[in-house]
Amino acid sequence: MFDVTHFIDMVPDLLKAFQETIIMIGISLSVSIVLGLPLGILLFVTDKGLFWENRLIKSVFGFAVNLIRSIPYIILLVALFPLTKLLVGQTIGPIAASVSLSVAAIPFFARLVETSLREIDKGVIEASIAVGATPWMIIKDVLIPEAKSSIIQAVTVTVISLVAFSAMAGVVGGGGIGDLAIRFGYYRYDNTIMIATVAILILLVQAIQIAGDWFAKSIDKR
Amino acid sequence: MLEFRNVSKVYSAKKKEVVGVDNVSLIINSGDIFGIVGYSGAGKSSLLRCINLLERPTSGEILINGKDLTKLSRNELRLARLKIGMIFQHFYLISQKTVGENIAFALKAASMPANAIPARVDELLEMVGLAEKRDVYPAQLSGGQKQRVGIARALANNPAMLLCDEATSALDPKTTVSILRLLKEINKKLGITIVLITHEMDVVKEICNRMAVMQDGKVIEEGDVYDIFASPQKILTQEFISSVVSFDIPKTILKDVRGQIVKILFKGNVAGEGVISDTMQRFEVKGNFLHGTIEYIQERPLGIFLMELQGEDSELAKARAYMTERGAIVEVVLHV
Repeated sequence: MFDVTHFIDMVPDLLKAFQETIIMIGISLSVSIVLGLPLGILLFVTDKGLFWENRLIKSVFGFAVNLIRSIPYIILLVALFPLTKLLVGQTIGPIAASVSLSVAAIPFFARLVETSLREIDKGVIEASIAVGATPWMIIKDVLIPEAKSSIIQAVTVTVISLVAFSAMAGVVGGGGIGDLAIRFGYYRYDNTIMIATVAILILLVQAIQIAGDWFAKSIDKR
Repeated sequence: MLEFRNVSKVYSAKKKEVVGVDNVSLIINSGDIFGIVGYSGAGKSSLLRCINLLERPTSGEILINGKDLTKLSRNELRLARLKIGMIFQHFYLISQKTVGENIAFALKAASMPANAIPARVDELLEMVGLAEKRDVYPAQLSGGQKQRVGIARALANNPAMLLCDEATSALDPKTTVSILRLLKEINKKLGITIVLITHEMDVVKEICNRMAVMQDGKVIEEGDVYDIFASPQKILTQEFISSVVSFDIPKTILKDVRGQIVKILFKGNVAGEGVISDTMQRFEVKGNFLHGTIEYIQERPLGIFLMELQGEDSELAKARAYMTERGAIVEVVLHV
């Protein structure tokens, strides 16, 4: 069932696929942090009773986030082909796949950030307001530090979701481990590659989770 | 001077309106340690939070030195808050920042130049007695130490006023005493007006010079702490005072009482025992002490005695009149 010589033959392909997966996750994770973190903060601080309370902004952005999150990723991927073409020039390959992965990950991560911020004791925010701090100071010195550990966990969850999404991106030529698994393992009944890719994915997810947990715990001062 | 002028705060929740603060007018003078007491839900916390507009009153004015805070712009209000320190029952320190960073945060809010911050942080920590805790995180501190950090943070920008929201309610009695002592010292040394809310009458008795009692959003009684302790007018006030100055007499003793029970109060430096013994000698009256205490409020003694007096009604009346003449306040509690 598991053919060792075949596996050794395929190592270069596996490495390339692994590299592509890492590229996809790396790009889409960076984009989702850069855009999703501010979006999550915005969703939180415009909520009722907070210092930038604003129903319009809250509901517009909240609606947009829900809209994207309600589309199954595989459909979002195809639907975004025109945008991908516009941004990257093609719809095949890991870079192209990163576009739809980012679009899916931004609202996902933003909601997780918002939830992390909600865990902060309102009293701490209130105490900062009482001290005379500016909203920007509160975001920078209270909200982000207090939610830091929980945001790290949100990053972990996002990365793991991206691993799953990136495998789906493989279906339409995104490349990566998922692509390899489908082409060899599914279409060609190549069990060796199937087992190898599944094993890689399991190890990858475990490693991400363990690293995330450790990091989140190590920076928490509570 | 802080003045509440017809301040009301109404909360609207699910089609129902709840009155938190009901048309309160109150003056708190500079340098006062002003205590607001009341049971939970009486509106004292809402009233306190109206001072720095953590809660915006539905109507009325909050005047600090004649300036109405409710009319300030966002940024003006923020600047005004720099001069109103606040401490909380649950401290509310930033858990991911060290003690020093927590205090520096307040200084940054006042735009203090970065190179001046460390010295000021050390100075503040010195003042609250936590000099060696600068680099530890709040999680490693005891409740009393956390409150001291809260105080240092509140005092960082030399405020004119310090608001204490049940500041000692989460602390054990010994720590409470030390925090109260620190607050008193701050009031004396720095001349900072302190407004505190509490449900513990002990706290008021310990440090306040003036007080107000709240019930259902209204201030029902206010005045000098000593005067209120000596002659509380409202039933609720009496209840609160009896929690620290208790005169419960066991039923078994009450059963054997002959004659009448009187409560005799001596304010200030009236030598209580002298007056009583003189009275016993002058009139055909026999007396038994049932209860007695001398409370020191604001370092002024307040003597309160419960006595059983026996004799002819006319003699008893004369005795009471005599004691009143000598400066006591006499009240018949029970007549058998």
